Amino acid sequence: MARPKLIKERVPTPERPVEERIKSFVEVNLGYDFASAVKEAERCIQCPPEYAPCIKGCPVHINIPGFLKALRENADNPDEAVKNALRVIWNDNTLPAVTGRVCPQEEQCEAPCVMGKVGDPINIGKLERFVADYAREKGIDEELLGEFIAETDGKGKVAVVGAGPAGLTCALELAKMGYKVTIFEALHEAGGVLMYGIPEFRLPKDILKTELDKLEKLGVEVKTNYIVGKTVTVEELLQEYDAAFISTGAGTPKLLNIPGILLDRIYSANEFLTRVNLMKAYKFPEYDTPIAVGKKVIVIGAGNTAMDAARSALRLGAEVTIAYRRGREDMTARIEEIAHAEEEGVKFEFFLTPVEFIGDENGKVKAVKFMKMRPLEERDSRGKRKIEPTGEYVTLEADTVIIAIGLEPNKILVEASGFETNPDGTLVVDENLMTSIPGVFAGGDAIRGEATVILAMGDGKKAAKAIDEYIRSRRANA
Amino acid sequence: MSYKILEKKEIAMRNIWYRIHAPHVAKKVQPGQFVIVRAFKNGERIPLTPVMWDRDEGWIVLITFIRGRTTMRMASELKEGDELLNVAGPLGNPAEMEKFGKVLAIGAYTGIVEVYPIARAWQELGNDVTTLHVTFEPMVVLKDELEEAVGRHVLETVPIDPNLDFPTNMKNVTKRLTEKVRELLEKEEYDMVFMVGPAGDQRAVFNVVKEFGIPMKSDLHPIMVDGTGMCGACRVTVGGEVKFACIDGPEFDAYQVNWDELIARSGYYTDMEQRAMQEYMKALQGGEQ
Repeated sequence: MARPKLIKERVPTPERPVEERIKSFVEVNLGYDFASAVKEAERCIQCPPEYAPCIKGCPVHINIPGFLKALRENADNPDEAVKNALRVIWNDNTLPAVTGRVCPQEEQCEAPCVMGKVGDPINIGKLERFVADYAREKGIDEELLGEFIAETDGKGKVAVVGAGPAGLTCALELAKMGYKVTIFEALHEAGGVLMYGIPEFRLPKDILKTELDKLEKLGVEVKTNYIVGKTVTVEELLQEYDAAFISTGAGTPKLLNIPGILLDRIYSANEFLTRVNLMKAYKFPEYDTPIAVGKKVIVIGAGNTAMDAARSALRLGAEVTIAYRRGREDMTARIEEIAHAEEEGVKFEFFLTPVEFIGDENGKVKAVKFMKMRPLEERDSRGKRKIEPTGEYVTLEADTVIIAIGLEPNKILVEASGFETNPDGTLVVDENLMTSIPGVFAGGDAIRGEATVILAMGDGKKAAKAIDEYIRSRRANA
Repeated sequence: MSYKILEKKEIAMRNIWYRIHAPHVAKKVQPGQFVIVRAFKNGERIPLTPVMWDRDEGWIVLITFIRGRTTMRMASELKEGDELLNVAGPLGNPAEMEKFGKVLAIGAYTGIVEVYPIARAWQELGNDVTTLHVTFEPMVVLKDELEEAVGRHVLETVPIDPNLDFPTNMKNVTKRLTEKVRELLEKEEYDMVFMVGPAGDQRAVFNVVKEFGIPMKSDLHPIMVDGTGMCGACRVTVGGEVKFACIDGPEFDAYQVNWDELIARSGYYTDMEQRAMQEYMKALQGGEQ
């Protein structure tokens, strides 16, 4: 048999030009078409699923070589190819249009890809996205959905608290197994961070909404405007449901405890992004929710949230600077997003820690005073270089500040229900993701603190299996 | 879930009464808690307070003061039988239910509608509650209800002088408010004062109450977006610490509140609020004729 020819370079995906995209919130990356997707899929050397490193790297273990094979096997019949590929993906992940867009593939499935040792790793994320997008546009996903609708009679009822990535995944997996699932969501739309946090230019909300339509089609009920802990307690849920899954995320912003934090035009990234994404404040006054962004914006922090906030502020017409207390190589945002931000003209200032917000006579922020930091050789537990203050200060002008230094779990639910928690407010769970309350499982940022969409989805999937086993064994012993 | 408007009526100038089907809120709400409402597809989320409720029949009453675009749109576009898109709640902490003794509960303008459920519950618990409502003459609401619910209801109305602009008229309300509070506190001994109203009026009243050294609680109304603690738009400084009014409040010890900051923060979007209102009024006029 002939040795497969290795193609080292990945097939590129087109992107909207910078000048065009910074004026709107439309999606930046345009994705593959069928021909280029097949070409990219053909670069995969088809490691056997038992040890394919990409599958292990994916937190929900999608059979990646399997769906790439399905794509290339029917290169002359795109609809059939996509249908087969989507079937493989849906076995493990019901939200591929989302994960193909927002996963940090360079740290997950693409990191261990064998092709990455000799050239570019396979562009798994963009291929996953292609399959989902093509299927949606052609209505193939509708056709396929029927295969996944399970008989729900008498299997059991599960309550899922929070409609973010963990909760959605758990609900969809349980629905596929035949459980009757109800999701309780505090906001008026499902999606969690996918809806309020990640901007349209990375994840168009129309696409998200079509993904969410699957919930209903698979028989999952979503109750919005329900704040578990206030509208209904976990105790009450357990009277009606066989088990519950808590996926309330880490939605409470950390704010800086420094003078001036209450000045006008200082936003938490969560507030800023919620106004922009969920409430569409960038369309004010067509939409009723206002947002006040000046000409000079400083974003504090350098994670994905900071990039999203910075790039959103830029699209509202501001000049944007990201200020980070560590160095360039310590930034936690995805490489692709940092590159996008730089291309779009976001400026970066490193080794600056804010010490004070300075206001004008009307109580509006006008500048941020920073302490200059210095890197040390020593590294912390996460492998980042430690930093120390230099005693020198610098003041940067700003008429708007967005704080994106992280999030912590919301206390409403925890306080109302008496869960055992860790010192950082995350829920304590066992190896099966069960909390201190029997029958109540938890996953995602609620147990991890702020992490990624795909890790949350991985937890949702794992919890769905554990919940299934829990309910079965309870019924067997009853 | 449908949040049907079972009843809608204008109960006073710029004050609209809505009785809404919302069993999930009606079942759980306690005095002091609020809801977040979104009425239109392109609408914003606004905090409102259930004034009355029936747990069995599953409805709540909301009373809005027409103050800007959203409340005006609700008043002009929504009819009985229509539905609100979203009613989330109950939110916030319930008011403390204790025997305080003799309580003065003050409502400025439509703030009285938030005083009502709390004052009523305090009275039922055995407190001797005096409610004070200070507002413009044509804006009196819940007079009969309060007279029936509490020990004594004091109503103070201020005429609207058509020759003066609204801010100047409002100063007259503030003046009457502080005078009346002073008069009441001088005449009788109160154990506690509670107030709902604009932040500026709350500060003015607090400055009077402080002279008498009486404990005071304030229901704070900072800008809110989600109402569940996930954004910090409603942050206030209380006792030197940053608190989120939606999850730590909305009720706080008036002696601990940084009033100047709160007053500054409530005016953050004034320009945009006016623009939104003006465009809506323009559209209304254009559309109607």
